[in-house]
Amino acid sequence: MTTPLLETRGVWQRFGGLIANSDVSISVDRGEIVGLIGPNGAGKSTMFNLIAGVYTPSQGSIIFDGEDITRLPAAERCQRGIGRTFQVVKSFETMTVIDNVIVGALIRNTVMRVARQKAREVLEFCGLGPRANVLASDLIPSEKRRLEVARALATEPKLLLLDECLTGLTPIEAQKGVELVRKVRDTGVTILMVEHVMEIVMPLVDRAIVLDLGKVLVEGKPTEVVRDPKVITAYLGDRHAVGA
Amino acid sequence: MMDTSFAQRRRRDLIVAAILAALAAITPLFVKDVYVQNIMVLTLMWGALSQSWNILSGYCGQISLGHALYFGLGAYTTALLFTKFGVLPWFGMIGGGIISALIAMALGYPCFRLRGHYFVIATIVIAEIGLLLFHNWDWAGAALGIDIPVRGDSWLKFQFTRSKLPYFYFALALACVAWFVTWWLEDSKWGFWWRAVKDNPDAAESLGVVVFNSKMGAAAVSAFLVAVGGSFYAQFVSYIDPESVMGFQFSLLMALPAVLGGIGTLWGPMLGAVILIPLTELTRSFIGGSGRGVDLIVYGGLIVAISLARPQGLIGLFSPGRKETAR
Repeated sequence: MTTPLLETRGVWQRFGGLIANSDVSISVDRGEIVGLIGPNGAGKSTMFNLIAGVYTPSQGSIIFDGEDITRLPAAERCQRGIGRTFQVVKSFETMTVIDNVIVGALIRNTVMRVARQKAREVLEFCGLGPRANVLASDLIPSEKRRLEVARALATEPKLLLLDECLTGLTPIEAQKGVELVRKVRDTGVTILMVEHVMEIVMPLVDRAIVLDLGKVLVEGKPTEVVRDPKVITAYLGDRHAVGA
Repeated sequence: MMDTSFAQRRRRDLIVAAILAALAAITPLFVKDVYVQNIMVLTLMWGALSQSWNILSGYCGQISLGHALYFGLGAYTTALLFTKFGVLPWFGMIGGGIISALIAMALGYPCFRLRGHYFVIATIVIAEIGLLLFHNWDWAGAALGIDIPVRGDSWLKFQFTRSKLPYFYFALALACVAWFVTWWLEDSKWGFWWRAVKDNPDAAESLGVVVFNSKMGAAAVSAFLVAVGGSFYAQFVSYIDPESVMGFQFSLLMALPAVLGGIGTLWGPMLGAVILIPLTELTRSFIGGSGRGVDLIVYGGLIVAISLARPQGLIGLFSPGRKETAR
């Protein structure tokens, strides 16, 4: 496959006078884990939401799997194979864990029995099997993050968008999260993840795209990106720039 | 294992409902008092209406305080078709249901863009507009209303002057239908979508649920069933005017049993109706007299008590494990 799974072409997003993203052109290949990183306010979340369909870009286009999805609403993007998690978890609190996942599974299987079966498999995969019949509101934070992933996986996405799903976890939980992300990729799902905890993202991703001030600053292998003076400057300021 | 327990619970619900319906069906053998029968009819009717209201407001989370509009539309469609064109009430019932469902969707088109309190306010205002229109619509009897002429007792014309029993059985059937529709929807794609929409519309949308269409579906089903109830009510009381079928209190009366029993639950509306309706009817006749409003004081007191003690509704008292399994 030579065509990328996801491609953004010259995407701009303006909120009134504020420019959140300017001329962002990135691409994600099939089977990759790509990290979208950058300091606070770099425009990561906006970019993420543009891809997920929460916003329509002011300018530019978004191509997914060879199709222009720039103006499609979120639900239709899900139909086409884009799954997402939320940075601030959005579980269906009054529903049980398995019912949460069934909602996701129903998009591909309208027969309840099949959807339920699918949901159970996904829960096992994500390590939430024993918690299936608990109310979502009773889960601890790290489990809620897993539930976000499970729900998105139940929609059988080609591309999974993870919005800071490893942030705010204890080191052990984060490590388990990393393992889960790898496991998901091994099933053939492409992953684009927004993170700002560098030490977690860098060993995990195949490629990192650094955003700063709404633009793509650097893009490349994680090991190269972290040594790039521009990246260090963006994160830490000019005084810490090494070889610049 | 998980699946079987879930299937077992669903089957248990169905069996319990069948037993309760059968028991209700034989009560007239023992209860001959017309006054009590009247209360039973009203209880079943309000249970059915509340169950229907619960589909949109309980499951899908779109709190409507304007369902009197659909109730009134059902009543008026049936009464007008019968008195003006001689159309049998059965067709009026279906026609009223379809008209209400269509109007619910037409109104939903702008209103479902509103969230929370703003949606509730819109439903109240729209129902009031409907009330005013019927107040001033001469062809539909305006403020004087419509007297449904008595043409002799028959199932065909759905009129019974000598006995309340046929109405009782129809109300029972309506309650069963409303319950069964809810039961069936609860474990369907729509039921899941509605609950997802209620809990978190953004997350639902990200999982491929078209939130807007889900709300429209819930509104249509809910309005249809409520309108059938309204048709029934018109036949039951055989005289309707705008206030007596479209007044704001009807919207409240549909919401209260569900809120009392447990909003968004399968059994809540029926349970709430069984407690609330006899209570109000009895207070109205025994304490009432000139004191119109004592029943409303009882309502108010109950709602305050329930919301303080068990905000999730009375149903929680009966099956604590139902929503909180494996806590």
